[in-house]
Amino acid sequence: MLDINGLSCVLGNEGELTFEFDLRVERGEIVSIIGPSGSGKSTLLNLVGGFLVPDHGTILVDNIQIQTLPPGDRPVSTVFQEHNLFPHLSVADNVALGIHPGLKLDKYQHEQVNDALARVHLHGFNERKPGALSSGQRQRVSIARALVRERPVLLLDEPLSGLGPALRHELLTLLRELVEREFMAALLVSHHPEDTRVASTRTAFLTGGRIHAIADTHVLLEDLEDPLIREYLGRE
Amino acid sequence: MSPSGGIGVVLACVVVILALAPLVALTGYGGTFPDTGIFADPYLARVLRFSLLQASLSTLLSVLPAILVARALARRPNLPARRLVLGLLGVPLVVPSIVVVLGVVSVFGADGWLPLGRRLYGLTGILIAHVFFNLPLAARLLLPSLEQIPSAQRRLAHQLGFNSWQYWRHIEWPALRGALPGTALLIFMLCLTSFAVVLTLGGGPRSTTLEVAIYQSLRFDFNPPRAVSLALMQLGLCAMLAMLSVRLTRHREVEGDSGGARHFDRTLGSNTGWARLADGTAIGTALALVAGVLTAIVVDGANTTMISVLNRPEVLDSLFTSLFIALIAAAMATLCGWLILTSSTRFAAGGREWLGNTLEGIATIVYVVPPLVIGTGYFLMLHRLVDLDRLTVPVVIAVNALMGLPFVIRSLAAPMRQRAAEYGRLCTSLKICGWQRFVLVDFPLLRRPLGLAAALAAALSFGDLGVVALFASNEQSTLPLLLYRYLSAYRVNEAAVVGLLLLGSCLMLFVLVERVLGGPRHAGH
Repeated sequence: MLDINGLSCVLGNEGELTFEFDLRVERGEIVSIIGPSGSGKSTLLNLVGGFLVPDHGTILVDNIQIQTLPPGDRPVSTVFQEHNLFPHLSVADNVALGIHPGLKLDKYQHEQVNDALARVHLHGFNERKPGALSSGQRQRVSIARALVRERPVLLLDEPLSGLGPALRHELLTLLRELVEREFMAALLVSHHPEDTRVASTRTAFLTGGRIHAIADTHVLLEDLEDPLIREYLGRE
Repeated sequence: MSPSGGIGVVLACVVVILALAPLVALTGYGGTFPDTGIFADPYLARVLRFSLLQASLSTLLSVLPAILVARALARRPNLPARRLVLGLLGVPLVVPSIVVVLGVVSVFGADGWLPLGRRLYGLTGILIAHVFFNLPLAARLLLPSLEQIPSAQRRLAHQLGFNSWQYWRHIEWPALRGALPGTALLIFMLCLTSFAVVLTLGGGPRSTTLEVAIYQSLRFDFNPPRAVSLALMQLGLCAMLAMLSVRLTRHREVEGDSGGARHFDRTLGSNTGWARLADGTAIGTALALVAGVLTAIVVDGANTTMISVLNRPEVLDSLFTSLFIALIAAAMATLCGWLILTSSTRFAAGGREWLGNTLEGIATIVYVVPPLVIGTGYFLMLHRLVDLDRLTVPVVIAVNALMGLPFVIRSLAAPMRQRAAEYGRLCTSLKICGWQRFVLVDFPLLRRPLGLAAALAAALSFGDLGVVALFASNEQSTLPLLLYRYLSAYRVNEAAVVGLLLLGSCLMLFVLVERVLGGPRHAGH
């Protein structure tokens, strides 16, 4: 459903970094992206999100090209690593921004906000400010906003960094449930191979600006034949 | 190019034209140009020498003690009333320079607490006034780099058993070194172009700076070509310094001390009696200078003529004229600075960092054109079209707005870029833009620095004695000009009252603008 074909771009002042990606993500699926830093994980998400302009290639969502659209018009929601929430706005307003960027909501839309908060187990947190929430709760608010946006593609850019193992597990399970139920296609960038076991059936390993391997998560993480994967995972 | 990116570029161009057109007008005005004669003139050589001498000495006498003050403040995070101390050190930045002259004379003059006699008029007095302004400024500019020392480094120093000197050498000095040249250059430039202080405390042929020489050549022997030559010389000097300072300072994200670090005891190896004494002396001396001068102004101002002076129509008229000028000039400078920075931030975020930097640089560079020259240029261009009396206020507003712009840009650039880095992508992905983005995101997140920038611009404009001294007719006056007139006429008691009024209203204006625009303290977050 999300089809990335020959998507390439060149970064760096002297064109020293070349990236090229081919990837297909189905609805209801989270594909995890792992790989050493500089391998292109963020670049891939920035290209899909529209924060980088590709030199060649296409991005298709339900067979419609989106690579020329501005970020706000793409059928894409992103949960960033940090600064997802505006600290001066309430939880409800932060979610409501996903429906209307001017915060003009009708009654039904207010219900949508409440409903989304309930789905991330934050019922009744509407009037709190982000500063009064834990970091795990804050990320759940950003997930709620992604839900109300009702866009089919979800990009998760290291949304769990800074959280402990139990919280990571809880959030990943929640994400997996939501993606399956909402029938979204999601990409999850992570530095923790353990996350991918919880979140995704399939995992892609990036290195040198390319997708080096993509396979079932447990197969890829146990693939000790491949020297690059072995080196990344630190297995001998 | 996006439309709002265009607005900033257009505005920056307008600013440059507004600042440079007067130079062209002056150049073309009568006489021969350039007045190359003055370059061989021994008078000019003396003016130039004195300008550089007083600026160098002022810088040295401000920055070296400021290092000690900043270090003492950084080492003692638990100092009693630390906020108050920092606040007091911030006051000179918004005190009108003509008022400071009044206070310096009152403390160090013949009848003062520490009489220096006739020596006060000339280099000594100028240096004291400049140190009053710039020592606290330097201390506040240097403090953040010391406070940014990561707490891990401090703990490490503890573990390694550094003494006070080793701590300075291995940790504090490397942290400070980067901020030092930029700070010193800024202060050098401020002193080089200082006007009101040199006009009132120096001014004789022995102690005249370029800026005052420009004033004299326009006011007394109306000789625009000569003024232009002097202005060009100052412009050249400042441009050189500005380029140097761009090379020496980089955009650095200033973060406050993190919560954990603040609780960690920083008084490292410095709890000996001597260290306490040294730190106490550094902070105490700086405070005594600031508080002494301010107290003298208050004590002198509260004299028996107060009621009658405050009831004079000319005093009230001047007060309102000053307020009017300050509010409009500050609004223009803030709006213009905001729009330019919105564009430059957008360029920087879009990968064209150089374009953003250039835009900000251009808007800041206005600073090197002497305001007197800009003002005079406008008068020469416009006096045939408009009545001179009606021209004074608009020209003063325009010049003050131009002069306020660099301060607005300097204080807003770093916060705006940081906010853009944090929330820029989120806003684009949620399609929050234009007016909605301003109301919902940018204004709430940036209103504190915005309020501070506007308040600074307002206070600077309110206390400025410059263009208005050249052109105001006898019926027209701003508060600083009225004070200067009373001082020149040796009406000491009346001058003291006006000085106190000027000080009080300037501080009140600053606080009001900052609170109204910047919002209540401790709000939200």
